[in-house]
Amino acid sequence: MEYRSQRIAYSYFVIALLLFGLQVVTGLWLSLSYFITIPQAIVDAFPFSTARAMHTNLLVLWLLLGFMGATFFMIPEETKRELLWPKLAVVQLILLVGTGVAALVGFLFGWTQGKPLLEIPRPLDVVIVIAALMFLFNVGLTMFKAKRWTVTQGSLLAGLTFLSVLYLFGIPFYKNLTVDWYYWWWVIHLWVEGAWELVVAALTAFMLIKLTGVERKVVEKWLYVELGLFLFTGIAGTGHHYYWLGAPRYWLWVGGIFSALEPVPILLMVFDTYRHMKESKLPFVPKLTWTYLVANVVLHFVGAGLFGFAHTLPMINYYTHGSQVTVAHGHLSFFGAYVLFNLTFFYFAIPRLKGFPDGQYKEKRGYWGFWLTSLGVLGMSLAFAVAGVLQTYLERVQGQPYMIAQKPIRFWMLIVFAHGILMVLTGAVIIISHLLTLKPAKA
Amino acid sequence: MSDKVAKWIFWAGTIISVLVLLVLTIDSHKQFNYLTNVDKLDARVIAGKKTFEKHNCNDCHTILGFGSYYAPDLTRAYTRLGEDSIQRRLKHPESVFSDSFRKMPQQNLAGQEIADLIAFFRWVSEIRNNDWPPQHSETRWKRSTDKMLASAAISPGAALVLQENCLDCHTLGSRGVAKGQRLEWIAQSRDALWMADFLKNPEAIAPGVDMPAYDHLSKEQRLKIAEFIVSLKTHRGED
Repeated sequence: MEYRSQRIAYSYFVIALLLFGLQVVTGLWLSLSYFITIPQAIVDAFPFSTARAMHTNLLVLWLLLGFMGATFFMIPEETKRELLWPKLAVVQLILLVGTGVAALVGFLFGWTQGKPLLEIPRPLDVVIVIAALMFLFNVGLTMFKAKRWTVTQGSLLAGLTFLSVLYLFGIPFYKNLTVDWYYWWWVIHLWVEGAWELVVAALTAFMLIKLTGVERKVVEKWLYVELGLFLFTGIAGTGHHYYWLGAPRYWLWVGGIFSALEPVPILLMVFDTYRHMKESKLPFVPKLTWTYLVANVVLHFVGAGLFGFAHTLPMINYYTHGSQVTVAHGHLSFFGAYVLFNLTFFYFAIPRLKGFPDGQYKEKRGYWGFWLTSLGVLGMSLAFAVAGVLQTYLERVQGQPYMIAQKPIRFWMLIVFAHGILMVLTGAVIIISHLLTLKPAKA
Repeated sequence: MSDKVAKWIFWAGTIISVLVLLVLTIDSHKQFNYLTNVDKLDARVIAGKKTFEKHNCNDCHTILGFGSYYAPDLTRAYTRLGEDSIQRRLKHPESVFSDSFRKMPQQNLAGQEIADLIAFFRWVSEIRNNDWPPQHSETRWKRSTDKMLASAAISPGAALVLQENCLDCHTLGSRGVAKGQRLEWIAQSRDALWMADFLKNPEAIAPGVDMPAYDHLSKEQRLKIAEFIVSLKTHRGED
């Protein structure tokens, strides 16, 4: 750590990690609800819908807090000056956490906007917008004052601004359900396949420059190409969500063609990382941080690229749309692209924040967390995929009623739950406790 | 690759894609009027959508295939279930799903809320969305039934369906009224014996159902009706 104001990042990381743990716990309840019968009295008081709203909102909140913390860590080092208003960053964190807690408690009492993933009620959206503005001003003005523009900074700021603007499309009440979902995807799809990719690619480029010592010019040149391809395929690729919602038929073509190309930039990212590693001027230490970084890149490709491609073409999607196939893709892609990114950054940044020599730390316990969680989510996603293929065939092709087609799926949900409790939860607890009690390499 | 080419790829890629999205969004808005029957999107439908959101229905069910995957898709709920079946499910989920391994919460909906939801589902069921979902394709049901009725000499079961005025409440092919369930949909989930029993005394099997008893028909007649309904299956399913 070279700058005092970087220290703010740590509070963001700690809260993000705690919310991560809570997200996994709510997920366990959801998978449990699929294979055992929850009695009516419990369903009336705590329906699946409430738990699901918590599960997804926790995910979004902790990932975003991670991105923000990472941004606060990076900005001073990139601009070579302190953050303009470190105290504002603390106020922003308090606002966001307060909103998160209010939303979660609100869900328990049925206070919701009723839109999946965007359940946070409108009054709280106002607080979120205020916090987002604080964040953008703080980060943006620090960059403007420093006048040391780099591609990394530029794409980070562009991604964060894009992210905030898109959130606005999810706030209004739309009378027309079709129009509602049309713009819902401007938030969800353009986040994960647009704005978030910008943010994460910039922060990863920053880490790669520090970890490999490869020349900034080289890393940033390829960053440009990656981002160009991400946005080229991703923005018009939104169309792969417009096949069956009552939009014109040409979306089958536009969505199909652009989204079929979406794996290309991810593949380029894998290749670029490999090349930077080959040209690395520094040893690959700490090994655990590198393990995370490589897993991040690889599972990003598998979860988002391959699992996404598997059902993105309209003739396949006609049968798989809205089934557990989507769930399989959702879990592995969020984990591969964003959860692993956050964890990589935490392992990269926390030792530096704590001032460990060369950013080295005691790694051993962390490996258990890594392997348990990664293999757990992988196994879970494969079980979801089996459930999804079964559902697609039984319900969509054969035309069996939903609940009859769900019967054979229950077993696979037990498999999901088993992975969740034995591997993902255990692994997550290890990761969280390891990161929060990190020790320097040689005591 | 030079820096210049890299920058060029970035800007060209981004701008082309943004333009495609924006131009097609403007065009899509022009077509939504027709595709979603905006002329039928009245105050009741909007009230129904608000109720749908208030009770967070979409975090268990999918609609247009979006949402959570814990309960059946509602895009064509109106088409396959009809008004009375939807009402029963909303009013008394605890008894309708008493035998099910998955429960629906009792939301204590007001009568008006239920009426609004039904108006909403009716409007949604008419959205022209490239005939998704495949398992509830009304087009497929109608085509198959119409073909069958046209080609076959009228079966005794079909004659009884007409004679007993089933289509005053049920839909079949291109005919009927969506008060009760679509007969093709019943065919997907029930066997002939179950249906013959149900016809004799619906109240005994589905308490609160708004359907008269057909106990004036003989068991044989009821079976004929049931067999006709089973023959409407368009999909190969579990028997």
